[in-house]
Amino acid sequence: MNPDTGLCEGCLRTLAEIAAWSAMSSDEKRAVRALLAARGAA
Amino acid sequence: LKLPSGIQVLERGWLSSNNVVLHSQAATVVDSGYGTHAPQTVALLEHALGSKPLEHLVNTHCHSDHMGGNAAIRRRFRCKTSIPRGEAPLIDRWDERELILAAADQRAERFAYDRTFADGDTVRMGEYEWQVIAAPGHDAHAVMFYCAETKVLISGDALWENGFGAVFDRLFGRETALAETRATLERIAALGCAIVIPGHGSPFAGVAAALERAFARLKGYEEDVHRLARHVAKVLFTFAMLEKRSMPLAELPAYLKRVAILEEINRDYLKMSAPAFAQWLVADLERAGALARRDGMVLARGS
Repeated sequence: MNPDTGLCEGCLRTLAEIAAWSAMSSDEKRAVRALLAARGAA
Repeated sequence: LKLPSGIQVLERGWLSSNNVVLHSQAATVVDSGYGTHAPQTVALLEHALGSKPLEHLVNTHCHSDHMGGNAAIRRRFRCKTSIPRGEAPLIDRWDERELILAAADQRAERFAYDRTFADGDTVRMGEYEWQVIAAPGHDAHAVMFYCAETKVLISGDALWENGFGAVFDRLFGRETALAETRATLERIAALGCAIVIPGHGSPFAGVAAALERAFARLKGYEEDVHRLARHVAKVLFTFAMLEKRSMPLAELPAYLKRVAILEEINRDYLKMSAPAFAQWLVADLERAGALARRDGMVLARGS
């Protein structure tokens, strides 16, 4: 995890997002993926 | 896909296996990820467990991406550790070759274990009883865990949604690995499981289709062992790059000679010069989207 951003340096997810990931619906995953794209561009 | 209550998958990438948390008053986690990811694995487990204790850590098999966090998890949670009985002698003598560590440029911190289990045993993990099922092939001593009550299979690297963990046929003097892989897939087919939680990738319900893809891939390897050798070389190098992230292209031929298993695959099957081996690997993996080249460096693309 990046200590400054709190994001996984590989997948850009937060700990909470990784922990919840496998229980998310497709729509919820899509929403997180959109966030990841924005984080990757930042 | 909805998992039965009390089953949580911490879905990781390829360098680290998934961690399956089986919740109860005293939770169990299956597999611990790669060593360099251990701080993240511990943080994820702390998050998943909240104030509940972790009682038990178990491994489907002892490859670096499944057991690399064992030592760190034991230190943090003081849990007991169980491994497949067949792995115990390799862990006892920390066999860097058979554990596919230094011989493949992989690393793991040595750990202690408390118990072993084997095919036919039943283990209580979380809220459920799990049957231990031998799953030789990718690893001669690997096991899977099957819960008949929920029809969930924790498959390790014996079955993924698209394929299975690389099979090292004829390395280590084993010439039965492909036959073992076939028998393991047949055993999975006979279980009639509804959901598979694989060692890498998302849990999935399309088990019949996944088995069909796995059998097709296996047939390709059975018919052409060179295809398998090329696949294993690519898997091992991609894995090494996931840890390293970058390497000067000019150093690659020497690297491929230095890493024992890659050198042997080339010597016995591919039979290329070191520069040709390097060029083929990078070009093929770049085409597959696993690597990129920039400014004289080869770069990892996945995680």
